Amino acid sequence: MLLDLSEEHKEHLAFLPKVDSAVVAEFGRIAVEFLRRGSNPKIYEGAARKLSVSSDTVQHGVEGLIYLLTESSKLMISELDFQDSVFVLGFPEELNKLLLQLYLDNRKEIRTILSELAPDLPSYHSLEWRLDVQLASRSLRQQIKPSVTIKLHLNQNGDHNTHVLQTDPATLLHLVQQLEQALEEMKTNHCRRVVRNIK
Amino acid sequence: MELSEYVQKGFQMLADPGSFDSNTFTLLLRAAFQSLLDAQADEAVLDHPDLKHIDPVVLKHCHAAAATYILEAGKQRADKSTLSTYLEDCKFDSERIELFWTEYQNNRNSLEILLGSIGRSLPHITDVSWRLEYQIKTNQLDKMYRPAYLVTLNVENTDSRSHPEISFSCNMEQLQDLVGKLKDASKSLERATQL
Repeated sequence: MLLDLSEEHKEHLAFLPKVDSAVVAEFGRIAVEFLRRGSNPKIYEGAARKLSVSSDTVQHGVEGLIYLLTESSKLMISELDFQDSVFVLGFPEELNKLLLQLYLDNRKEIRTILSELAPDLPSYHSLEWRLDVQLASRSLRQQIKPSVTIKLHLNQNGDHNTHVLQTDPATLLHLVQQLEQALEEMKTNHCRRVVRNIK
Repeated sequence: MELSEYVQKGFQMLADPGSFDSNTFTLLLRAAFQSLLDAQADEAVLDHPDLKHIDPVVLKHCHAAAATYILEAGKQRADKSTLSTYLEDCKFDSERIELFWTEYQNNRNSLEILLGSIGRSLPHITDVSWRLEYQIKTNQLDKMYRPAYLVTLNVENTDSRSHPEISFSCNMEQLQDLVGKLKDASKSLERATQL
């Protein structure tokens, strides 16, 4: 699958062959850093002054690079497809190699960052448990009432939530049984067939 | 067991064969248990025709005294000797003590279950449901191809009116971790019960 680059995008990227490869490598580093931490406009100004171009030109160049990298990573395009997509830009061979390397080096991390943008449900982090026996209460003395106290740790959008819950022995066994069945499902023929065939 | 003068006076009236013969005594006792244990019971519990001839004030006093005593005895898990001691002090003859003890034994289980269920506790897990899905893509990321689970815990609060649910997603490793820990807990429970 080839990347479909718009005219505007090609224009922005056209800045790259005009500077030497060390600068392009630096832009690449900035691009990935911006994906990790968010953009910082001051960097554009600094670079613009050093290269004697407008800050807009630098910004477009870096943004073009960011878009190139994220689109390629999102679609998970092959090396060959990436090279063919970049080829239409008419860049020198050395620049193409640099861009390819940039893509391959950072693809995994960029995909991780992109996966964090998905609709987010609370996700499991860990679980602590404790066995308790209730011996008495205000309304009834001399009891022996076993229970399991559970602290469930969940993550959502970077926040950490905990839920403290309780259950009785019978329900605990039921929970284990149900969830073991859930795990077993992945091993069934049906699920294996789906995983094999949807790629 | 410390009980008030009100309870004691009520029992003294109950002890008197002049005010309550054996039949009415048993009826009142059963009415007391019924008021406590039957969720549908209301004031009509004292409307039995055989109780009509008794002064309503006396009836209510004795009924309240009996109910109070029953709850206290249930709470303290009173045995026969504790019961007998108190009832003797209230001038119960041995026949009435036996009647009381019989009724108490008949209703003891229900009473203890009721008393045990009163009180605050943490939200209680009652059930779990799960969903297995295969994630293919999002609008930000293609070719994901990974299985994921959505687990929902049904939880009951002590006020029985709110039933919040706790839902979370997890991958296979995380679910294995969760199941592993719950299995540890249940094994530990088994070991504890064998001690």
